[in-house]
Amino acid sequence: MWVSKRTSFVAIAMIAISLLIVGGFLLVADNLGRAVAQAEGKSRVNIYFDVDATPQQIATVDAWLATHPDFTSRRFVSKEAALARFKQYFANLSDIVGQLDENPFPASFECDVSPVVAQSPAFARQAAELRAIVGVEQVQFDWEWVETLRKLIRLVNLAGLVAGGVLAVAAAFTIANVIRLTMMLYREEIAIMRLVGATERMIRGPFLIEGLLQGLIGAIVSIVLLLAAFLAGRHFLAPRNSLLWGFLFNGFLPWQKVLSLLAGGMLAGYLGSWLSVRESGEEV
Amino acid sequence: MIHFYHVTKRFDQYSTALHDITFHVEKGEFVFLTGASGAGKSTMLKLILRQMQPTEGQVVVNGRNLKAMKRSHLPPFRREIGMVFQDFKLIERMTVFENLSFILTVLGLPPREHKKRAYAALRAVSLHHKMNAYPLQLSGGEQQRVAIARALINDPLVIVADEPTGNLDPDLTQEIIQIFNEANLRGSTVLIATHDRELIERSGRRVITLDHGRITDEKAPVAQRAPRAETLFGIGG
Repeated sequence: MWVSKRTSFVAIAMIAISLLIVGGFLLVADNLGRAVAQAEGKSRVNIYFDVDATPQQIATVDAWLATHPDFTSRRFVSKEAALARFKQYFANLSDIVGQLDENPFPASFECDVSPVVAQSPAFARQAAELRAIVGVEQVQFDWEWVETLRKLIRLVNLAGLVAGGVLAVAAAFTIANVIRLTMMLYREEIAIMRLVGATERMIRGPFLIEGLLQGLIGAIVSIVLLLAAFLAGRHFLAPRNSLLWGFLFNGFLPWQKVLSLLAGGMLAGYLGSWLSVRESGEEV
Repeated sequence: MIHFYHVTKRFDQYSTALHDITFHVEKGEFVFLTGASGAGKSTMLKLILRQMQPTEGQVVVNGRNLKAMKRSHLPPFRREIGMVFQDFKLIERMTVFENLSFILTVLGLPPREHKKRAYAALRAVSLHHKMNAYPLQLSGGEQQRVAIARALINDPLVIVADEPTGNLDPDLTQEIIQIFNEANLRGSTVLIATHDRELIERSGRRVITLDHGRITDEKAPVAQRAPRAETLFGIGG
């Protein structure tokens, strides 16, 4: 059955590559999803001041927040603290910021708000009031980011499915050709089997199993490669002080998705071999 | 058991292998089919196994009209026929034992019985010591005997053999014919295509002679033949 080793290798590689791409997209989407889930537990409102806001203007806002109980546990982040935080999160960009003449980061207040309150119309009116205070540059809600992130996740998932789907179909056709080639190599044997009364299931079964195994091996290879890439990325690209990479390398795919990749590989392999064996009927 | 009704097999408008053939082989009969090369013997055997369909007429084997038979009924039908092919049709990547074991798997016998059955079948053709050899390691005659062992392994209802002694020396030919005789005694209907005149004469069995796709002669078994006039009067011999 394994005479056409080189073509089998190509088929397995095709499956592995397509599932690696699907898995890669799934992994990114999954980690972004985790970040969203973390953010959804608490809502935060950031009130940014103009870069040249005066201490008096900041004090006015502080007083306004103190009189509005919806804005709980407010924290003041000075310009210096914002700069330090940026350097910590984006260590590789800290040199660029250091070359600037002045600190470009504005001071801000970070306020925790209950998610229910944060999305109510009354709260939107209060936010508008805040925006109108002199010295306030921007009032930003992090659920807007969450929504943007959700859209991004949907896009990543869709891109993964489309790219992976196209490649999986190509892989299925490659497997179909491999099985067709194998069946041609064994056509005399198949003819003998038919003449002595073997059923089509007995004849085609091994070829279907071969396709299934090729798909399974391809899927296992893709998962191993994805895990290796993930571990390498977490080790080299995601040091603890980098926020972006920390998001992307938070965790590997859950077992359900790993199983889905395995099932996807087997399905592509089975479909490929089914495509070729269904053409191999007897002439009479 | 085997019935041909006005069977014609045409490959194209210039090549007709069989012309309006009608004959019957009854259950338990032993029949030789003879004729020169190209007479249509192999075509006839292929029609019996439904390797091909007649252009006209009907072929009925063991009560089944092969023209009307569904493809899904073909495997069980073929399992009732022990076929010895002229080119042996052994699976080269399998050992002699595996070739026989494969048939037993097809027949649905449990694996624990395979060795016993395969050994007995190979012993009957004196090849039990070559169970682990591959077909290409055997001589033509030995391959032919393996093919015969495979055909007879399950005491089929019908045995159809295409030149089964073509590669054998006279002693072995007799042995093989004896094996077919024994299978016939056990109830199998036997149809052997051969151009070995001496073998046919010695056997005294019913003979159908084909020439250019037509039945030109048909002889009953010796026991049923009427004595020739010359012999009756003591003139000939």
